[in-house]
Amino acid sequence: MKIKIDLALCQGHSVCLGEAPEVFNVIDQDDGYPHVKVLLDSPPEALRAKVMKAAKYCPNSVITVLED
Amino acid sequence: MSQSATAPLALPSKVSGEKPSIGHMEEFSANFARFLMRCNSECGELAEFNMGGQQTVLMSGPEAQEAFLKTLDQKLSRAAAYQATVPVFGKGVIFDAPPDKMKAQLKIQVDALRYQKMKNYSTVISQEVEDWVADWGDEGELDFLDEFLRLTLHTATHCLLGKDFRDQMTEEFRELYHDLEKGLQAIAFVDPYMQQPIFEARDKARARLQELIGGIIAERRANSGVVYGDALETFIAGTYADGSHLTDNEITGLVIATMFAGHHTSSGTATWTLTELARQKEYSADVLQELRALYNEDSEITFESLREIPRLERFIEEVLRLHPPLILLMRRVIEDIDYKGTLIEAGKTVAISTYGSHRNTDYFPDPERFNPNRPEPDTLFAYIPFGGGPHKCAGNAFAMMQLKAIFAALLPRYEFELVDPDETYQDDFSAIVLKPSGPCRLRYKKR
Repeated sequence: MKIKIDLALCQGHSVCLGEAPEVFNVIDQDDGYPHVKVLLDSPPEALRAKVMKAAKYCPNSVITVLED
Repeated sequence: MSQSATAPLALPSKVSGEKPSIGHMEEFSANFARFLMRCNSECGELAEFNMGGQQTVLMSGPEAQEAFLKTLDQKLSRAAAYQATVPVFGKGVIFDAPPDKMKAQLKIQVDALRYQKMKNYSTVISQEVEDWVADWGDEGELDFLDEFLRLTLHTATHCLLGKDFRDQMTEEFRELYHDLEKGLQAIAFVDPYMQQPIFEARDKARARLQELIGGIIAERRANSGVVYGDALETFIAGTYADGSHLTDNEITGLVIATMFAGHHTSSGTATWTLTELARQKEYSADVLQELRALYNEDSEITFESLREIPRLERFIEEVLRLHPPLILLMRRVIEDIDYKGTLIEAGKTVAISTYGSHRNTDYFPDPERFNPNRPEPDTLFAYIPFGGGPHKCAGNAFAMMQLKAIFAALLPRYEFELVDPDETYQDDFSAIVLKPSGPCRLRYKKR
């Protein structure tokens, strides 16, 4: 799987970081909301469940999971 | 939306029925949701009307709504459109702050809605619901418009200002808050600084509220080791880019702004959800079955368990489709805009209507019918109860969590019936935030 991010929608709620800290971090910006930073663009299958939760529970639909 | 090109641009079609000097104000005030639907059906994607002198362009359909929602403040300003909030939230707060400070304040507001905080809030809300139903007995009748206003005032103050404040909440606080509410009615959007008793009361209330909240802030700064788990803690700790903290005025403003964003919107939606649960027997039986499978007598309602209640979620989403609490979202045009060959000039207001969008038959066939099982539109910009794009309501997850916590606790214990004839439960368009017309009486009976 591959992870696609729409940064324009990110408000830094950090749900993804809570669900899958192996894959997502949230970084403060100089200006405005903190933004998600993807640590693993193509995470291993073992993390699938966590990644899917991160995408599903993101309040702003920032994360899309694409299949290879 | 691109910059205006050199080719001659069309202008938006004008809505009929404009009157000298007041424009469409009368028809707008009578029922603004219906008026906006008329604008759209008469003029299409862009419809220009006159709000007592302010030319306003309604943008309809997912494509236009997407353009509206994705355009940033530099070109379509929220601040300029929402100046009525300035005397309520306070000078230098959010829509009165310079752009960099406004962004920092909104960021600190979202910090208070982060994952860990949300877990605390879900516990707080579940406790509040338990306290609320504790003296209900086996059956009775209540006006749920009042009940939900009170419940959500309790949850909002508890999550924002902490347990001590909530437990000691005085009549004075309720009155001050009420005076602020009255200061943000439709007339404030024409001019919030008119000589009016309601605006005088608003300004007094704002000043006194800052004394009250300032007292708590001072106390907390003196006990800096204590963890409170509420939003105020986050507001006090928050800093600007240069490391400086928010002033008491700014913290008070954020508290007020967050109350205003979340209180009436949540209570109106909760009232409508309960009313629809009483009305839509077939779908509420589905939701009840789902809740019974999830929770038995002794299982607690936790943040984790609240996240995944699909039938209840779809039910609430359908309530938000038919009864979106905020109908009209506005921006002021800062630079001329070329929208697909039509010029929207700087100085005009642009608006979108959630209520109208949710009744667009291309996306919601038979739109007045309550049906939680309708297919989702293939665009993110047709169903927009929380707006969308970069400025989407930051409290959307909080709102859904709170509604689910309320009904996950309520529905398995009680069944609800309408007291009055079905058709008397209607949307009330007289306030800025949509709610059912009052009183909203329901009978409850222990299952």
